[in-house]
Amino acid sequence: MKALVDRLLGPVTLVALAVTVWLGLWVTPPDVHQGNLARLVYVHPALAWVALYLSFGTATIASALYLWPRTRSEVLDRVAHCAMEVSVVFIALTLITGSIWGRPTWGVWWAWDARLTSTAVLGLLALGYLALRRATDDAHVRARRGAVYVLLAAINVPIVHFSVLWWKTLHQNATVFTADRHLLIHGIMAWTLLVSFVAFSLAFAWLLRARYRLEASRGAVADAVVERALDERRREGVV
Amino acid sequence: MGYVDAGYAFALGGLALYALSIWWRGRRDPR
Repeated sequence: MKALVDRLLGPVTLVALAVTVWLGLWVTPPDVHQGNLARLVYVHPALAWVALYLSFGTATIASALYLWPRTRSEVLDRVAHCAMEVSVVFIALTLITGSIWGRPTWGVWWAWDARLTSTAVLGLLALGYLALRRATDDAHVRARRGAVYVLLAAINVPIVHFSVLWWKTLHQNATVFTADRHLLIHGIMAWTLLVSFVAFSLAFAWLLRARYRLEASRGAVADAVVERALDERRREGVV
Repeated sequence: MGYVDAGYAFALGGLALYALSIWWRGRRDPR
Protein backbone atom coordinates (compact mmCIF):
# COMPACT_ATOMS: atom_id res chain seq x y z
CA MET A 1 0.00 0.00 0.00
CA LYS A 2 2.78 2.42 1.02
CA ALA A 3 4.71 1.58 -2.16
CA LEU A 4 1.58 2.13 -4.24
CA VAL A 5 1.00 5.56 -2.65
CA ASP A 6 4.68 6.37 -3.25
CA ARG A 7 4.38 5.44 -6.90
CA LEU A 8 1.01 7.07 -7.60
CA LEU A 9 1.07 10.27 -5.54
CA GLY A 10 3.29 12.20 -7.98
CA PRO A 11 1.50 11.26 -11.24
CA VAL A 12 -1.98 11.67 -9.68
CA THR A 13 -1.00 15.13 -8.38
CA LEU A 14 0.27 16.21 -11.81
CA VAL A 15 -2.91 14.96 -13.50
CA ALA A 16 -5.11 16.72 -10.91
CA LEU A 17 -3.20 20.00 -11.40
CA ALA A 18 -3.46 19.64 -15.20
CA VAL A 19 -7.23 19.01 -14.93
CA THR A 20 -7.54 22.11 -12.70
CA VAL A 21 -5.75 24.25 -15.31
CA TRP A 22 -7.84 22.79 -18.14
CA LEU A 23 -11.14 23.32 -16.33
CA GLY A 24 -10.11 26.70 -14.93
CA LEU A 25 -8.80 28.24 -18.14
CA TRP A 26 -10.86 26.56 -20.88
CA VAL A 27 -14.00 24.86 -19.60
CA THR A 28 -15.52 27.18 -16.96
CA PRO A 29 -17.37 30.28 -18.18
CA PRO A 30 -16.26 33.83 -17.32
CA ASP A 31 -18.00 35.40 -14.32
CA VAL A 32 -20.84 37.92 -14.79
CA HIS A 33 -19.08 40.57 -12.69
CA GLN A 34 -15.36 39.78 -12.86
CA GLY A 35 -15.14 38.25 -16.34
CA ASN A 36 -12.06 36.11 -16.92
CA LEU A 37 -10.40 37.33 -13.70
CA ALA A 38 -12.73 35.01 -11.78
CA ARG A 39 -10.65 32.11 -13.15
CA LEU A 40 -8.11 32.95 -10.44
CA VAL A 41 -10.61 31.51 -7.95
CA TYR A 42 -9.42 28.06 -9.05
CA VAL A 43 -5.88 28.83 -7.87
CA HIS A 44 -5.76 31.41 -5.09
CA PRO A 45 -8.23 29.97 -2.50
CA ALA A 46 -6.80 26.44 -2.88
CA LEU A 47 -3.27 27.78 -2.24
CA ALA A 48 -4.58 29.64 0.83
CA TRP A 49 -6.36 26.48 2.04
CA VAL A 50 -3.09 24.53 1.93
CA ALA A 51 -1.02 27.38 3.40
CA LEU A 52 -3.30 28.08 6.34
CA TYR A 53 -5.03 24.86 7.21
CA LEU A 54 -3.08 21.89 5.80
CA SER A 55 0.51 23.09 6.27
CA PHE A 56 0.06 25.04 9.47
CA GLY A 57 -2.45 22.48 10.76
CA THR A 58 -0.03 19.60 10.16
CA ALA A 59 2.81 21.50 11.84
CA THR A 60 0.61 22.44 14.80
CA ILE A 61 -0.65 18.88 15.40
CA ALA A 62 2.87 17.43 15.01
CA SER A 63 4.28 20.06 17.40
CA ALA A 64 1.57 19.48 20.02
CA LEU A 65 2.20 15.72 19.84
CA TYR A 66 5.94 16.32 20.11
CA LEU A 67 5.47 18.34 23.30
CA TRP A 68 3.27 15.60 24.78
CA PRO A 69 5.82 13.31 26.52
CA ARG A 70 3.98 10.09 25.60
CA THR A 71 4.05 10.77 21.86
CA ARG A 72 7.36 12.65 21.60
CA SER A 73 9.45 11.47 18.65
CA GLU A 74 12.00 12.75 16.17
CA VAL A 75 9.55 11.93 13.36
CA LEU A 76 7.01 14.49 14.65
CA ASP A 77 9.67 17.20 14.88
CA ARG A 78 10.71 16.41 11.32
CA VAL A 79 7.08 16.53 10.10
CA ALA A 80 6.54 19.92 11.78
CA HIS A 81 9.75 21.29 10.28
CA CYS A 82 8.92 20.09 6.76
CA ALA A 83 5.29 21.28 6.97
CA MET A 84 6.46 24.75 8.05
CA GLU A 85 8.87 24.96 5.12
CA VAL A 86 6.08 23.93 2.72
CA SER A 87 3.80 26.53 4.36
CA VAL A 88 6.30 29.31 3.56
CA VAL A 89 6.05 28.38 -0.14
CA PHE A 90 2.24 28.21 -0.12
CA ILE A 91 1.85 31.46 1.86
CA ALA A 92 4.16 33.23 -0.61
CA LEU A 93 2.18 31.89 -3.58
CA THR A 94 -1.11 32.83 -1.87
CA LEU A 95 0.12 36.42 -1.44
CA ILE A 96 1.48 36.61 -5.01
CA THR A 97 -1.67 35.24 -6.69
CA GLY A 98 -3.84 37.41 -4.42
CA SER A 99 -1.83 40.45 -5.39
CA ILE A 100 -2.18 39.57 -9.10
CA TRP A 101 -5.95 39.33 -8.58
CA GLY A 102 -6.05 42.52 -6.50
CA ARG A 103 -4.38 44.80 -9.06
CA PRO A 104 -7.16 44.65 -11.73
CA THR A 105 -10.07 44.34 -9.24
CA TRP A 106 -9.05 46.73 -6.44
CA GLY A 107 -6.66 48.89 -8.45
CA VAL A 108 -3.70 48.17 -6.14
CA TRP A 109 -1.15 45.35 -5.81
CA TRP A 110 -1.23 45.56 -2.04
CA ALA A 111 -3.33 47.11 0.74
CA TRP A 112 -2.73 47.06 4.49
CA ASP A 113 -6.02 45.25 4.86
CA ALA A 114 -6.61 42.85 7.79
CA ARG A 115 -6.68 39.65 5.67
CA LEU A 116 -3.60 40.56 3.62
CA THR A 117 -1.61 41.85 6.58
CA SER A 118 -2.42 38.91 8.87
CA THR A 119 -1.45 36.49 6.05
CA ALA A 120 1.84 38.34 5.53
CA VAL A 121 2.46 38.15 9.29
CA LEU A 122 1.82 34.39 9.12
CA GLY A 123 4.45 34.13 6.36
CA LEU A 124 6.95 36.06 8.51
CA LEU A 125 6.16 33.79 11.48
CA ALA A 126 6.81 30.72 9.31
CA LEU A 127 10.12 32.21 8.12
CA GLY A 128 10.97 32.99 11.76
CA TYR A 129 10.43 29.33 12.61
CA LEU A 130 12.97 28.27 9.95
CA ALA A 131 15.43 30.85 11.32
CA LEU A 132 14.86 29.65 14.90
CA ARG A 133 15.73 26.08 13.90
CA ARG A 134 19.10 27.27 12.70
CA ALA A 135 19.86 29.01 16.02
CA THR A 136 21.08 25.88 17.81
CA ASP A 137 22.77 22.57 16.93
CA ASP A 138 21.22 20.76 19.88
CA ALA A 139 18.50 18.59 18.29
CA HIS A 140 16.34 18.36 21.46
CA VAL A 141 16.46 22.08 22.23
CA ARG A 142 15.74 22.85 18.57
CA ALA A 143 12.74 20.52 18.49
CA ARG A 144 11.27 21.79 21.78
CA ARG A 145 11.73 25.46 20.94
CA GLY A 146 10.34 24.87 17.46
CA ALA A 147 7.26 23.06 18.76
CA VAL A 148 6.44 25.82 21.27
CA TYR A 149 7.00 28.45 18.58
CA VAL A 150 4.60 26.71 16.15
CA LEU A 151 1.86 26.53 18.80
CA LEU A 152 2.24 30.27 19.48
CA ALA A 153 2.41 31.15 15.76
CA ALA A 154 -0.72 29.07 15.06
CA ILE A 155 -2.76 31.59 17.10
CA ASN A 156 -2.56 33.76 13.97
CA VAL A 157 -4.38 31.16 11.81
CA PRO A 158 -7.89 31.86 13.22
CA ILE A 159 -7.05 35.58 13.11
CA VAL A 160 -6.40 35.25 9.34
CA HIS A 161 -9.54 33.15 8.92
CA PHE A 162 -11.91 35.51 10.75
CA SER A 163 -10.15 38.76 9.73
CA VAL A 164 -12.71 39.43 6.98
CA LEU A 165 -15.52 39.19 9.56
CA TRP A 166 -13.84 40.96 12.48
CA TRP A 167 -12.60 43.97 10.51
CA LYS A 168 -13.78 45.96 7.51
CA THR A 169 -11.57 44.63 4.72
CA LEU A 170 -10.91 45.17 1.03
CA HIS A 171 -10.63 41.39 0.71
CA GLN A 172 -13.95 39.71 0.05
CA ASN A 173 -15.73 37.51 2.57
CA ALA A 174 -15.97 33.70 2.22
CA THR A 175 -15.89 32.45 -1.40
CA VAL A 176 -17.77 29.15 -1.16
CA PHE A 177 -20.32 29.51 1.66
CA THR A 178 -22.04 32.45 3.31
CA ALA A 179 -22.06 32.68 7.12
CA ASP A 180 -25.42 30.81 7.14
CA ARG A 181 -24.00 27.95 4.98
CA HIS A 182 -25.57 29.11 1.73
CA LEU A 183 -23.57 27.97 -1.32
CA LEU A 184 -22.23 30.93 -3.32
CA ILE A 185 -20.82 29.06 -6.31
CA HIS A 186 -22.59 26.53 -8.52
CA GLY A 187 -22.34 24.04 -11.39
CA ILE A 188 -19.05 23.59 -13.24
CA MET A 189 -17.53 26.50 -11.32
CA ALA A 190 -18.19 24.73 -7.99
CA TRP A 191 -16.83 21.41 -9.33
CA THR A 192 -13.69 23.08 -10.69
CA LEU A 193 -13.16 24.78 -7.34
CA LEU A 194 -13.47 21.39 -5.64
CA VAL A 195 -10.98 19.81 -8.10
CA SER A 196 -8.54 22.67 -7.44
CA PHE A 197 -8.72 22.09 -3.68
CA VAL A 198 -8.06 18.36 -4.19
CA ALA A 199 -5.21 19.04 -6.63
CA PHE A 200 -3.38 21.51 -4.40
CA SER A 201 -3.96 19.30 -1.34
CA LEU A 202 -2.34 16.42 -3.25
CA ALA A 203 0.53 18.74 -4.20
CA PHE A 204 0.96 19.53 -0.51
CA ALA A 205 1.05 15.80 0.37
CA TRP A 206 3.57 15.10 -2.40
CA LEU A 207 5.87 18.00 -1.49
CA LEU A 208 5.66 17.22 2.22
CA ARG A 209 6.53 13.60 1.55
CA ALA A 210 9.49 14.52 -0.66
CA ARG A 211 10.74 17.10 1.85
CA TYR A 212 10.35 14.62 4.72
CA ARG A 213 12.37 11.98 2.87
CA LEU A 214 15.14 14.51 2.27
CA GLU A 215 15.18 15.43 5.98
CA ALA A 216 15.13 11.76 7.04
CA SER A 217 18.05 10.93 4.73
CA ARG A 218 19.97 13.91 6.15
CA GLY A 219 19.33 12.56 9.66
CA ALA A 220 20.57 9.11 8.61
CA VAL A 221 23.74 10.61 7.07
CA ALA A 222 24.40 12.66 10.24
CA ASP A 223 23.95 9.54 12.41
CA ALA A 224 26.32 7.57 10.15
CA VAL A 225 28.97 10.34 10.37
CA VAL A 226 28.78 10.34 14.19
CA GLU A 227 28.93 6.54 14.29
CA ARG A 228 31.97 6.49 11.97
CA ALA A 229 33.76 9.12 14.09
CA LEU A 230 33.01 7.14 17.27
CA ASP A 231 34.36 3.97 15.64
CA GLU A 232 37.57 5.76 14.71
CA ARG A 233 38.00 7.10 18.28
CA ARG A 234 37.30 3.60 19.68
CA ARG A 235 40.01 2.15 17.46
CA GLU A 236 42.41 4.84 18.71
CA GLY A 237 41.44 3.89 22.28
CA VAL A 238 40.10 7.38 23.09
CA VAL A 239 36.49 6.29 23.85
CA MET B 1 0.37 37.89 -20.67
CA GLY B 2 -2.79 38.73 -18.73
CA TYR B 3 -3.39 38.70 -15.01
CA VAL B 4 -5.06 35.27 -15.13
CA ASP B 5 -2.16 33.64 -17.01
CA ALA B 6 0.30 35.31 -14.62
CA GLY B 7 -1.60 33.94 -11.60
CA TYR B 8 -1.56 30.39 -12.93
CA ALA B 9 2.09 30.70 -13.98
CA PHE B 10 3.17 31.88 -10.53
CA ALA B 11 1.12 29.23 -8.72
CA LEU B 12 2.32 26.27 -10.77
CA GLY B 13 5.80 27.65 -11.46
CA GLY B 14 6.33 28.32 -7.76
CA LEU B 15 5.40 24.77 -6.81
CA ALA B 16 7.60 23.38 -9.60
CA LEU B 17 10.57 25.46 -8.41
CA TYR B 18 10.10 24.28 -4.83
CA ALA B 19 9.89 20.63 -5.98
CA LEU B 20 13.09 21.21 -7.98
CA SER B 21 14.80 22.70 -4.90
CA ILE B 22 13.96 19.55 -2.87
CA TRP B 23 15.35 17.32 -5.63
CA TRP B 24 18.47 19.48 -5.96
CA ARG B 25 19.15 19.50 -2.20
CA GLY B 26 18.82 15.71 -2.21
CA ARG B 27 21.42 15.42 -4.98
CA ARG B 28 23.81 17.89 -3.35
CA ASP B 29 23.78 16.27 0.11
CA PRO B 30 26.63 13.88 0.98
CA ARG B 31 25.66 10.19 1.03
